[in-house]
Amino acid sequence: MAVDVKVVTYRDIFQYGAEKMGLHSEEYLKLSASIILDKQDMARLGVAEGGKVTVENELNRIVVNATASADKPHPGLAFMIKSPWSNQLEGDESCLPGVAGVRGIRAKVSPSTEGITQMDEILQRLRA
Amino acid sequence: MVSAMEIYMLLPKTNCKKCGLPTCMAFAVGLLGREKKLEECTPLFEEKKYEAKLAKLKDIVAPLESASETGLIIHPEKCFGCGNCVIACPVNVAAEPTRCGAGLGPEGDRVILRVEDGVVVANNLQECRRFGPNRVLCNACTATCPSKAIEFV
Amino acid sequence: MTEFNYKTCTGCSLICEDILFPDAVSGSFSHAKNLCRKGQAHYKALFSERAEPLVEGSEVSLDQAIEKAAEILRKARAPVIYGWSNCTLEAQEAGLALAAKIGAFVDDPSSYCEGQLMERILSGKIPSCTLDDVRNFADTTIFWGSDPSSTQPRHLSRFSYFPRGEKRQKSYEEERTCIVVDVRESPTAKLCPNTTYRVMPGEDLQFLEAVLAVLEGKIPRFGDKKKMIELGSIIKKTEYGVIFPGPAMLDSLRDQMDRFEELVRRLNEVTTFKVVPMTGQYNSRGFSQLLFDRTGRVKGVRFAASGEAAAEAPSLVEAVKGADGILVLGSDPLLDLPIGLARAFAAAPIIAIDPRLSLTADVARVVIPSAISGLETGGTALRTDGVKVTFEPSIKSDHLADEQILTRIMEEI
Repeated sequence: MAVDVKVVTYRDIFQYGAEKMGLHSEEYLKLSASIILDKQDMARLGVAEGGKVTVENELNRIVVNATASADKPHPGLAFMIKSPWSNQLEGDESCLPGVAGVRGIRAKVSPSTEGITQMDEILQRLRA
Repeated sequence: MVSAMEIYMLLPKTNCKKCGLPTCMAFAVGLLGREKKLEECTPLFEEKKYEAKLAKLKDIVAPLESASETGLIIHPEKCFGCGNCVIACPVNVAAEPTRCGAGLGPEGDRVILRVEDGVVVANNLQECRRFGPNRVLCNACTATCPSKAIEFV
Repeated sequence: MTEFNYKTCTGCSLICEDILFPDAVSGSFSHAKNLCRKGQAHYKALFSERAEPLVEGSEVSLDQAIEKAAEILRKARAPVIYGWSNCTLEAQEAGLALAAKIGAFVDDPSSYCEGQLMERILSGKIPSCTLDDVRNFADTTIFWGSDPSSTQPRHLSRFSYFPRGEKRQKSYEEERTCIVVDVRESPTAKLCPNTTYRVMPGEDLQFLEAVLAVLEGKIPRFGDKKKMIELGSIIKKTEYGVIFPGPAMLDSLRDQMDRFEELVRRLNEVTTFKVVPMTGQYNSRGFSQLLFDRTGRVKGVRFAASGEAAAEAPSLVEAVKGADGILVLGSDPLLDLPIGLARAFAAAPIIAIDPRLSLTADVARVVIPSAISGLETGGTALRTDGVKVTFEPSIKSDHLADEQILTRIMEEI
């Protein structure tokens, strides 16, 4: 079971604080390796609050925690804090960075039993 | 903020009157208004079957106990330190019109709200307009908070 | 009357100058006053994860690191200098001197999104004003694709919604309207729920056209018609409006900035409307201004050996992929940039000048630790609205300031 979403990235003040504490810290991982999904989308996926999901597109795949959105319904739209995790899914070779906009990040979300993608893994992928 | 109904659901709901009030609902309202203490519901503490509910109630009631007489509660872990409440507070503005009135941090001690160590702290709550015999329902600080870090009970 | 020893925070582009450290005498930052959560984190960063001089991962002396950096840059035939926005104007000037000397390509993280807007503002095509003007005169502020509560937390309390101002003594209660145009219910949107306009990704142009339509008295073809017409009324009653576009909106309208220019022009026929950017790091505007003054451009510029800007410049990704030496100044491209660009950076020989350990420093050939500008070194910077701010350091430090490091590298070359 998978859901197609457009991922919009945003800035969060608490994640900024965690970033300043340490890029390899638990707090930073918790806030960054995370995706906010529409309640209905989560129900369709059969994912519980805080459950793990794989978010993938032709660029990459990551495993993050899913939280239910408290916003008005927005099926097909997901939110991630701008972070190295969200960056894994964004910006092909034409490489224009952006928050989302027209290009946006299109990805498939599905329930996952794997471990959350760690910072070390991301660093490795960047070096490879 | 927790509601009276949420508290009621965790009480024995026997209307035994041991707390001095006629119904458990009245006790829930009394707890919320901080006129009653949790300990006054003796069955909660004496009977083992209420153990789990008691634990939950203790969690819920804890922030109420730290609320000031004006009913102000601050959740520093949610606070952005944005200063909206500091600038919106009419007492702050009256005390420091060229500072708080103009968006800057206060210099004196007569203010109620200030940002310290990145989050809001409250002092001088007796100056708050919600306090005392001429109190009004001022909600400048809570209405201007982007994260519900500052609330009234 | 006590003298207040105000300090300056360089955590975001508001560059607040009313920070107090009452315990500073004892060397402590506790009880810091007026620092928002972001500023607090920025100050706490002084004490953790500081960089050490490294060459190829091994600890070396500062001198050795600087020599190696100079060597790489001296030999490089396509050098790149990237970052800039966390540096003082003095450091930026020193860096541009270095760039001219070695014929480097320069670019900064904000140029893609905000570059288009910044260029139009600096050249005067789009009217702008200071944040102090906003506080004193603005009765309608529009946050379009931006969320100041999360990125510049004191924006609304210092300037754009809550404080009193010369012509706005009754402030947000009676005289100011705050409008948010965003895809989600951001913390800022929560503050003005009745004037929040929900716009899905990619719909910003339609929203823009709808605003133009209601200004003509036409029925808008987008969004809740009643709400859009209401927006038109708010605009017509506005005396001094200000738009704060954020990265989401600028990315969405990337190829349609002419339409945005047209909207601003049209708004100024109805009343006064200004646009103030929301820059990311504390001195993004400073670098944009310097580059603009020198070259007429704000985006990626390649300097020829003569020190003049070359007419043609590659895109950032082209420059990075072809680079045989990249100097990264106070920025973390591996953290911030989308994967294609981040990997291009990771593959090139990087010299990272940074106060703290960063992902970029992890892969860099050479790491040179620097002082955190604004906290450990003084200097000047431009606030997001272009106002110049001069600051002294808040604490003493042994770390070298960016401009000192850059000057030494230049000497070595």
